[in-house]
Amino acid sequence: MSAHDDIKGQAGAYVLGSLDDEERRAFEAHVSACGECASEVRAFQRVSAALGMGVAQRTPPAGLRDRVLAAVGGTPTRDWAVWLPVAAMLVLTIAMGIYAARLQVRVEGLEARLNNALAQVAAADQLVADSRRVAGELQSAMGVLAAPDLARIDLAGQAAAPSARARALWSRARGMVFTASNLPPLPSGRVYQVWVVAGAAPISAGLLMPDASGGGMVYFNTPPDIPAPRAIAVTLEPAGGLPAPTGAFYLMGAPAAL
Amino acid sequence: MVMWLLAALAGFRPESAESQADDRECLRRLAAGDREAAAPLYDRHARAVYSLVLRIVDDEADAEDVVQDVFTQAWRQASRYDPARGPVAAWLLVMARTRAIDKLRARRARSGPQPAEDERAIETLPAAGFDAADVLVGAEQARQVQRALGELPLLQRIAIELAYYEGLTQREIAERLEEPLGTVKTRIRLGLLKLRESLAEET
Repeated sequence: MSAHDDIKGQAGAYVLGSLDDEERRAFEAHVSACGECASEVRAFQRVSAALGMGVAQRTPPAGLRDRVLAAVGGTPTRDWAVWLPVAAMLVLTIAMGIYAARLQVRVEGLEARLNNALAQVAAADQLVADSRRVAGELQSAMGVLAAPDLARIDLAGQAAAPSARARALWSRARGMVFTASNLPPLPSGRVYQVWVVAGAAPISAGLLMPDASGGGMVYFNTPPDIPAPRAIAVTLEPAGGLPAPTGAFYLMGAPAAL
Repeated sequence: MVMWLLAALAGFRPESAESQADDRECLRRLAAGDREAAAPLYDRHARAVYSLVLRIVDDEADAEDVVQDVFTQAWRQASRYDPARGPVAAWLLVMARTRAIDKLRARRARSGPQPAEDERAIETLPAAGFDAADVLVGAEQARQVQRALGELPLLQRIAIELAYYEGLTQREIAERLEEPLGTVKTRIRLGLLKLRESLAEET
């Protein structure tokens, strides 16, 4: 690899802002004079812009708009915002006086529609909750990797799978991310189960179904009251997993020092 | 892979030329001192900006502060916006990410010693080659990008997400995962190339 290929290889990391200061300065000095690298940067900026939109879309809190516009100094609604509530209440009072008798009838019809709408909202909420849960789990896993108190536990393959390897990254505050590789394909009706030995009995940290290459990941949202793990193990268990390990050990490891 | 790409292509909607023209008009008015132009700009982009910022800082109060900073910065720097660099939406998101990561790093610095990072100057980037069709909007596009990320090998995806959304440098990622720096660099590069390929086939 030539020196230029080395530099050019940094374009993506530069756009993500993940170069060290020194690397960044070197890259910027180079890119200002190198059309090839500049076009590489432009191409990665498109990827970066897309990543900015690749997050779950959330509605900003209602009060934020007023706050931002006040900070910018543009308060286009101020003049009529003062009398708007007064006018609205006046109109409402008149309307209520006139239509009070009719309201009772309409309320019943509206209640039926409301119930119907509420049922639809509940169904939609369920869908949203499901997709948030999946996104949230992955975000939690990222949170573990960024945790300040990250500890690592490497696991070695046991007799049943000597070439299997795994690594647990453990943060007391944020949970555990467990990644495994080279696990043998699962026999039918079986699943790998990850165990954390912290207190007296092993706790199940989740089930692991490896992909075609034998790799897989488990995120475990650690209960706050358990001590740091003394060991982590993977066993082969019946599909669905069990409350305590019964099968052969495939992977095992303990922290080097805690 | 091919299937999702086709689906993604079918669903990718370019931001309409009209709304981009509206955005540029808003910035022109802001630059000329017309502060009321901030309202339509906020209404069009607050959702995307807030969503990205919240993803990075993971705290609603901090996210609100950052969103306010982003729009205040957009107002102050409106005259420095150059359409040749890309659509206004991308400009806002770059500012949003930079400020959100600053916030995150400041918070990390308070909770433990971390090397200080000076603010990255957006102006030093070469003019970006976005064209109008490059900018994706809305929840559907968010899902497509998430799907593209989901197609990456897990370790590449983790490295890219740690860099982009958690603001870690390659060296910090390598230290954290106790892996060689070269390995992390390779993962980020391969992952970005794969994402680039997925997104580029659309044009």
